[in-house]
Amino acid sequence: MKLNRNFLLHTVNSETVLVPTGEAGFSGVVRGNKTLGAILELLKTDITEREIVAALQARFDAPQGAVEKDVSKALAELKKIGAIDD
Amino acid sequence: MTDTYRLAELNITVSSLYDEVHRLCRDYLSPEPKADFKVVTTQTDIDFEREKSAREDEAEGRPVQKFTDGYLETLAVYRKIAEKLPKYDAFLFHGSCIAVNGEGYIFTAKSGTGKSTHTRLWRELLGNRAVMVNDDKPLIRVSEAGATVYGTPWDGKHRLSSNISAPLKALCILQRAPDNSIYQITAAEAYPMLLQQVYRPYDGEAMKKTLDLIDRLASSVKLWRLNCNTDIRAAKIAYDAMKG
Repeated sequence: MKLNRNFLLHTVNSETVLVPTGEAGFSGVVRGNKTLGAILELLKTDITEREIVAALQARFDAPQGAVEKDVSKALAELKKIGAIDD
Repeated sequence: MTDTYRLAELNITVSSLYDEVHRLCRDYLSPEPKADFKVVTTQTDIDFEREKSAREDEAEGRPVQKFTDGYLETLAVYRKIAEKLPKYDAFLFHGSCIAVNGEGYIFTAKSGTGKSTHTRLWRELLGNRAVMVNDDKPLIRVSEAGATVYGTPWDGKHRLSSNISAPLKALCILQRAPDNSIYQITAAEAYPMLLQQVYRPYDGEAMKKTLDLIDRLASSVKLWRLNCNTDIRAAKIAYDAMKG
């Protein structure tokens, strides 16, 4: 999966925000925590959910299962607004 | 019909199917026929605006409004212009902009919050010193020297605008409140609203450039948050703080 081309990542004061172009069906702006920022950065290139989880586990010190849950939830939300191409 | 207009210091040739857009833009005719760029509308563009408007009405739970092709074409022309502006360091911004003593103040908020009501209070408070630049969709151009705001004929339901420009002194996010208060905010605090209120091009490169321009805007003007009611004292507290 990969970030849809109609969604752009932009960094504002070290926070990553996801901004849709006019072409995207979604008109809001997505802001999130550091984990979401990292997921969005990883989605710039084609990647699987398992690879995202592995990359985040290597980066963040989180309890077992927490990363999987966060990634699954974030991806579901991003898919809902059309921000991810499978 | 084809004619050339000057908007935000750019000469733009508009070629349309209906003459309504040319009536709308008549105060902005360019003295030069040579254009920086040209926009041409088709029936497909008009149909796109009709469908978009209907979708928005449905999303808001309103009855679908009927518009003439001529009116919808005015929207299509501004959209086509807005798509090209980032290349020239300019963008369309949703807000009510007023100039006082030659300096621009722009108020932005979600539709229905009271932007136009607030700038009307400024006109009541300041009289002839206050001139409406544009009540709805001004253009902003960002240069090394700072941000400049420009009047355009796409000026909202009250038809308030002037063919003038002003250096932008401040941008204020407005929200309704029982009592009036104003305070300066950081670019990070303003950013979500700035991104909501800027025209978002369909073209990815133009969108990237727009984000860059918003960054430059946020670092070149003072940003404020105003909690206000509709009493004229709201205008006084805002002007006294923002004039510096």
